[in-house]
Formats: sequence, structure tokens, C-alpha cells
Amino acid sequence: MKRILAQANKEWMLFRRDKLLIVLAVLMPLVLMILYGFSQSLRLRNVRLLVYDYDNTPLSRSYLEGYGAALDFRITAHEPGESPERAINNGRGRAALIIPANFQRDALRGVGPTIQLMVDGTDSNAATALGTIAQAINLSFSQRTSIGRPAPKLARLDQRLWFNPGLSNPVFFGTGALGMVLVLFPALLGALATAREYELGTIIQAYASSLTAAQWVLGKGLLYILIGLVELVICFLLGVAVFSYRLPSDPTVLLVATVLYLFSGVFYGMALGNASGNQSSAIQGVQLGAFLLSLLLSGFLFPVRNIPPGIRWISYILPATHYVKVVRNSLLRDAGWMTSLRPMAALWILAVLFLLWNVLQMRKMQFKD
Amino acid sequence: MRAFLRRYLALTTKEVQQLRRNRGLVIQLLIPPTVVLVIFGYALNPKVRDLRLGLVDESLTPQSRNFINSLSENVNFAVTQRFARVEEAEAAMNHLKLDLFVVIPVEFARSLGRGQTAEVQVVIDAVDANTAQIAQGYLQRALNDYNAANGFDPAVATGAVEVRSAYLYNPGLETSWFYVTGIMSILMFINASLVASALAVKEKETGTIEQLLMTPAQTGEMLLAKTSPVFVLLMVVLFIALGVAMLIFDLPFHGAFWLFVVSGICAALAGIGIGVMLATVSKSQQQAQLLTFFVNPPITLLSGASSPIENMPMIFQMLSYLDPLRYLVTIVRGVTVKDAPFSALWPNLAALSAFAVVLFSISAWRFRKQ
Repeated sequence: MKRILAQANKEWMLFRRDKLLIVLAVLMPLVLMILYGFSQSLRLRNVRLLVYDYDNTPLSRSYLEGYGAALDFRITAHEPGESPERAINNGRGRAALIIPANFQRDALRGVGPTIQLMVDGTDSNAATALGTIAQAINLSFSQRTSIGRPAPKLARLDQRLWFNPGLSNPVFFGTGALGMVLVLFPALLGALATAREYELGTIIQAYASSLTAAQWVLGKGLLYILIGLVELVICFLLGVAVFSYRLPSDPTVLLVATVLYLFSGVFYGMALGNASGNQSSAIQGVQLGAFLLSLLLSGFLFPVRNIPPGIRWISYILPATHYVKVVRNSLLRDAGWMTSLRPMAALWILAVLFLLWNVLQMRKMQFKD
Repeated sequence: MRAFLRRYLALTTKEVQQLRRNRGLVIQLLIPPTVVLVIFGYALNPKVRDLRLGLVDESLTPQSRNFINSLSENVNFAVTQRFARVEEAEAAMNHLKLDLFVVIPVEFARSLGRGQTAEVQVVIDAVDANTAQIAQGYLQRALNDYNAANGFDPAVATGAVEVRSAYLYNPGLETSWFYVTGIMSILMFINASLVASALAVKEKETGTIEQLLMTPAQTGEMLLAKTSPVFVLLMVVLFIALGVAMLIFDLPFHGAFWLFVVSGICAALAGIGIGVMLATVSKSQQQAQLLTFFVNPPITLLSGASSPIENMPMIFQMLSYLDPLRYLVTIVRGVTVKDAPFSALWPNLAALSAFAVVLFSISAWRFRKQ
């Protein structure tokens, strides 16, 4: 134990001397939390909608009002004489709504005019959502104006949205952001800490010292886990201020999960440093695992269930997948230990595996007495 | 000029040989981006299927069973469980066993029989706002189908206004195209800055920079020679990525190929410029890499590669104009999936090349100052 602390102390001395590192360690989580929380969102807002009203009657304008009032659309102008295909191709709008001539006459006669919506399908998720939203606006128009004689009797939905009644995106992404931020910096620091020893050649001293492999690994990791905990406090305070975090009724769940998560993050980074032995490769590895894969496959952005089963295992070996689950469970649903048992066990297993990987890497090289 | 070429070639040879010895870096630059592209192309799919639906049928009448049948026929829902009481369904949702549940009240059949509106209660787990919104859409459609089948639907009633959606460029709504084009651009750009910053600072750290400064080569030539092998590698990465995307994901290429090439070159230069610039302000390789690492996530998140820029709050939309990757993503999507005309893309190309020139010049100037 004393040896582990001594190793951690040595790391602390090194860390303290690097002013830039300290500044980054505080600044990076703050900036990233805000970016992750606010910039990522799949829910559409302010989609530029080009309007081609060839009817231009009171009824067609009243039809357009429905789109103007929806927060999802922002009606934009198109150049005179520009066809809808061209306008979308030029990137002037994401969709075009075309109201045919004689819309009002046909609607009042009960002929049932057809309105066309052209959607830019490049982003297929947004395109599908736009189609659905347009249907809903159209339905409400039909009901409002009682064109087509709405039948009085029908089944209607009375919806309640649990846990996030405002369908607020910052709430969802702001909580997931905690997981994204807390893996990035610890893994990075871990990777740099070990890779540097190889580059400077000081790793020989670790091989030759009487420290066992496990002691060296734990001692090195300890400091970065403590830094991670400081980051947790910073991020949580920011979350309370910006993303309406509340302290869960059982904070131990989150705390234990965070410690396990930091363990796996730091050891993942250190293992990469050990394996590559140079800083730039190690950092690229961290960028891949802790940034890109965690951002896109951990369930932060899309539900893990959407990933085809053949490659879903990649999600399961990412610690972020399990941690994001625990964070959302305890911060948004305020669920206790029971619902978080499985992700917690997974985090535990991953932390131990990454630790073992490090110990094996070190033991291979260490001098035998 | 000839002297310049000779010196440039000599220095480039040195860099290439160094790079050849560092085979790890070359492999790392070429293989993971390709693999990652394939994984993401397959894995990323915001479409929601098999929503776990719970049912509480308090009515227990032929009408309610009919309604339940119309829900379970829907491919988007997987009926996992039926509950006798609402509390049980609530508990199941709390334990994350359900995504949504439907409660059919006792008076469902009676209301319908009397010609009144029958309310069906739905509870959706809305933690993920996007999924919740999609679930709402599915339910509404399932309900419309039910109403239509039973002759109560206003939308199908004769003479109602109808909306028909046509999806341009991507009529099959292939999701992978959006992500593959985004990831391709991200990988190229952030690898450029990371590798360049490592290379630029390496000589300083090992002390060999003194030797370089003693040679007749000028700093500009040095920088050029240092970055050209990386530049070539990055272009190779970009073309491999495009090839993979076209072969595996059937990504179309409708637009002008030269636009793709030119924007790729500009983006690589801008990325290298950022890397070198950060390297010159830092004292060690570690600091350089840390700074680059700090700059890359904002560049990625604001570029619109993973989520549409329109969805961001205004201030982030403004900030995204400062992100060179944003322009690359727009151009790549513009020339592959769409056939966007040059008149629509040129502002993006102009911005990207301005970034390339400015960033690369600043980095050359900073590099000289050392």
C-alpha cells in the first residue's frame, strides 16, 4: 500500500509541474460537457421549409399557418422561378411544400387535393421525422377545418411522457455527457503517463524496481482516478446549473459506478500506452476508443438496441455504454441499485479486465528476483 | 528553384525514411479509419424498431382485443407483456422492462358503442426524446390504421387533404450514407491534426531540431517536407474511405469529383495547419497532443457530422461557422449523395480553402519563429 502511494505521489509531482495539464484538466470537462449536452440532438427544430403556394387562397394560407406555428419548421423564401428540386439541391431548404392550384376549391368540394412534400433524404432520420410531422400537421388541419367530415366517434390517444415530459434533449444528452467527459481525460492522462515512460526510457526503472507489476499499475492509476473524481464534482455542479441535474435519492449508485468507470478508463489508456510505447499512437487509440466509439456506439446518441446484433458486442465492451445507463437511471429516473445491477457488474468486470491487461503487460517485462 | 527542389526532396526523403521506420504510425493511419468506417456504417441507425410495448386491458371486450391486435400487428412494436393492473405496468417501466405501455380503460367499448370518443392512455419512457417522439409517431399511425379499419378516420374519410412525401436523393432512406460521409470527413481531419502535431514537435523534443536549423534549408521548406508524407497518407486514407463507402454501402457519387479532391486537399492542409500550430505553442510532445486532443472534440461535435446543425442552439450554430470540418462535411455530402451544383457549394469551398491558407500560413510563421 505504501509503495502504491509513493508511486502515486511521484505521478502527482510530475502532474503538478505541468501547468497546461492542470488548466486542461479543469477546462476540458466544462467545455466538453456543454458541447456534448447542447450540440447533439436528433430532434428536429427550425427546419427550413420552402413553400410553393400555387393556390394562394385563404384556405391555403390557413393550411400553411399550421406549419408556421410548428416549432419544427421555419418557412423560408425561395428565389423567384426556382423549382423546388433546384432549391433543395442548392441547400436553400431541407424540404419543400407544394400546394397545388385550386387547392381551396377542391378541398371545399370534397375532392381531396394532394399536397406534396419534397424532403432532402440525405439525413434519413430527419427525413423520416419530417414526413411524420407533416402527416400530424395535416391531420390536425383536417380536424380543425372539418374538411372531409370527421367522424365523431374514434379512439384517441392520451399520452403521458415519463421522466422527461418536455421531451427535452439537453436533459438526455446532458446526462450522457457526464459519461463522455469522464472517460476522455482520465484515459488520455493514463495513456500519456505510460507512453512517456517508454519514450524517455524511464520504464526500465520500473522494470528494475522492487515494485510488483500490480503496485506500479495501481500507483500510476490512482492519481488519475482522483483527478477524475474532481472532474466529477466539477461536471456535476455544471450539470446542476445547466442541465437540471438533481442529486439522486441514493447517490452511492452513481458514486460507485463513477469510480469503476474511472478505473476502466484510466487502465484502458495505460494499457494503450504500454502496448504502443509512443505517445502519438497511444493518443490515437484513446481517440478511437474513448472518443469516437464512445460517442457513437455507447447509447449516448442512439439506443444500443438499434445496433445490429452482429456488432453489438462492441458496445458492450465499451465502459461508456454501461456507465451512461447508470447515469441516466439514477439522474433521470431516480432508480436505485436494483435497476443498475447489471451495468454495474459489467463495469466491474471491464475495470478488472483492463487492470489485468496492464499487469500482464508489465509482468512480461519485469525482472525476476 | 532547383536548389529549393533539391533541398525539398532531400528533406522529404528523410521524413519518408523516418515514417517508414515508424511502421506503426502508417498502419495506424490506414487501417483503423477503414475498419471504423465499416463499423459505423453498419451500426449507426437512429431508426427505432421493436419498441417494448406493455398492455393493460381493463376493458376485456371484443373491441379492446381488436384494438390490441391492430397494435401487435405493427412491426414497430414488440408486445412483451400483458398486465392486469396499471401499477404492475408502471413498476415494469420503472425497472426498464418496457419502453411504453397502453392502458385501455374499462369504458372503452361502451364509449365506442355510444358513438363517443374513447380515450386510450399511453405512457412513454421519454428519457430519450428522439425515441419517444418516434414512438409517438408510430402509435398515432397505428391508431389511424385502427380508426380507418373501423371506419372512424377523418384522414381517410373522403375528401380530406392528403400529404404525400417524396424523399429526394435517398428514396430508400438509407441511413448509412449520412453517417459514412460524416465519419469519413471526421477521421481524415482529426488524424491530420493529431499526426502533424506529433511530427512537428518530435524534433524539438529529441533535440535534433538544432541540426535541422543548421542546414541550409529554410523553415518553410522544412515544414513542407515534414508534412508532405503525412499529407499523401491522409489523401490515401480519404480515397480508401470513399472506395469502402461506395463498395460496401453503395454510396452514390453524383457530383463533381474534382470538388471532392480539392476540398479533401484543403481540409488536410487545414488539419495539418491546426496540428502544427498547436505544436509550436507547446513545450513537449505531450502538451502538443493534449492541446490537439482538446481541440478535436469540439471540431467534431460542431461539424454536423453526427447530428444536424439546425438542431443546435443559435450560439452553437454561429460557432460552427468557425469549424473547418463543417464545410468539408457539407461538400462531401453535396457531391456524393446529392448532385449539388457548384453555385451552391462554392461558399463552402471558399471558406475551407481560406481556412487551409490561413491555418497553414500561421503554422509556417510560428514554426519559423522557433
